[in-house]
Amino acid sequence: MTARTITQLAHELREGSTTPRRLLDNALAHAEAAEPSLHAYLALTRELAERQADEAGRMLERDPDGASPLCGVPMALKDVLCVDGVETTAGSRILSGWKPPYTGTAVQRLFDAGAVCVGKTNCDEFAMGSSTENSAFGPAGNPWDVERVPGGSSGGSAATVAAGTVPYALGSDTGGSIRQPASLSGVVGFKPTYGRVSRYGLIAFASSLDQIGPLTRSVEDAAIVYAAIAGGDPRDSTCDPRPLGDPLETLGRGVEGLRLGVPREYMGEGIDPDVRARVEEAMAVLEGLGASLREVSLPTTHAGLSTYYIIAPAECSSNLARYDGVRFGLREDDPSLTEMYLRTRDRGFGVEVKRRVMLGTYALSSGYYDAYYRKAQKVRTVIAEEFARVFEDVDALVSPTSPSVAFTMGDRDDPLSMYMCDVVTLPVNLAGLPGISVPCGFSPELPVGLQVIAPRFEDARVFQVAHAYEQATEWHTSQSPLAATAA
Amino acid sequence: MTLSAADVAHVAVLARLGLDGAERERIGSQLEVILEHIARLQQVDTSSVSETAQVGELVNVMRDDVDGESLPSAVALGGAAASDGGYFVVGAIQDNELDG
Repeated sequence: MTARTITQLAHELREGSTTPRRLLDNALAHAEAAEPSLHAYLALTRELAERQADEAGRMLERDPDGASPLCGVPMALKDVLCVDGVETTAGSRILSGWKPPYTGTAVQRLFDAGAVCVGKTNCDEFAMGSSTENSAFGPAGNPWDVERVPGGSSGGSAATVAAGTVPYALGSDTGGSIRQPASLSGVVGFKPTYGRVSRYGLIAFASSLDQIGPLTRSVEDAAIVYAAIAGGDPRDSTCDPRPLGDPLETLGRGVEGLRLGVPREYMGEGIDPDVRARVEEAMAVLEGLGASLREVSLPTTHAGLSTYYIIAPAECSSNLARYDGVRFGLREDDPSLTEMYLRTRDRGFGVEVKRRVMLGTYALSSGYYDAYYRKAQKVRTVIAEEFARVFEDVDALVSPTSPSVAFTMGDRDDPLSMYMCDVVTLPVNLAGLPGISVPCGFSPELPVGLQVIAPRFEDARVFQVAHAYEQATEWHTSQSPLAATAA
Repeated sequence: MTLSAADVAHVAVLARLGLDGAERERIGSQLEVILEHIARLQQVDTSSVSETAQVGELVNVMRDDVDGESLPSAVALGGAAASDGGYFVVGAIQDNELDG
């Protein structure tokens, strides 16, 4: 199933040239062959997948036209997404062996549509990282060069799509964790407007920033998956109930007459010159398609990283307080309750999680709250207002997704240089905007991604711009060396 | 700014992280570098803005006060290391003197 998209597989399933069971067998065989070098999965869910494939076969037989395009198509889930009775670890030792008693809303919507879940994908522990090296169960590789990282934290999801095992996977994005691995792995990655997709059943990292979204091989596929998972949910009070409309409606409209802004601060210092060159070429393509480009300024970008690294750790230190050895997960027994907490959390959490819990606890602690947390919340307002002002003059923004291409494992061992990976994606989370990464070339043989950002709830405009660019170029048809081995 | 060893130890206790000495030292020096970078927050003029805790427009989301579906207690207890008669089992709580 090399490089075939959801749309193509949906067509093949209906014309009878394949079956859900055959697609599943191919996906599992390919996953098993690729795993020794890739480690994209923490677990394959063969039994669940076989049940789902058989049910999808019946759904397609009953009503081929009425069935979702996702019916019978194999997929994978980042291991921060809860599935009833299926081990879900968030890449952490503290949740090793934990089986959630319920399925999250976004996942359930895919299952109801007939999706076939092949497995749970590798990720940075509790989604904290930009390389998947922080997984407690070992890093994942990049299908373009397995010595390099696939990005993160949704690195396993990006890797398995780029390897040609499945046409799509779900990830989660708190500061770039869908878009950055998509960029580094040469696939499409979409982070919806904050509040569009229910977070019920997503293991929480930073609740005011987290969103679930798809990693796919095409922009159309991203829109198809988004349409299936988005929309109000009474189980998540931050999930917006306003009507979704048809996210696919704008595909094919082109960009003629659209005003695209290029944030000066996203193209300057810290961006690899080769990455900048690829993105400038992409901008020229969009201009050739009739969009008008202009430079804009988001002057507080320089403080975005600092703002994020107060707010996200603060929220994570609070969210991760629940891992106390009492209700679920690891417990290191001790007669003293306090000692039990200390030992359980010391043993269960990896070093990056400890670092962020420490940073967040410090920022929230008495005497530092105003200087750090309250200040960061105010700067967040400034950053969001700058976006809002820029969007008075332009319809969308275009920029690089990541300052660099995929780096070699072990190359970024100091925390701050790893944090810099997300410098042009995390402001989008701070402002709650929709953003996508779409392949835009290579440097020299590693993928580069173009980021498109739109105002809140204009997710369809993100698809419109990204789709126009994708259809005018061939990058999305390039296959990683590992995809070439797919059945 | 400098983060003293006592500060790091205090924060570790607040965070309920039983870090050993070497880990406290390593994380402490890394936090110092990170906090130095974060200091650039202070350069931003925020005198005329209020805080943003969340970017959604929804406020006070309520539902009708009626019984809904919920997890049976046996299922809710199913992930616990120890439970007994419908309760989670933990050690004695009278020894909690860390914050004192």
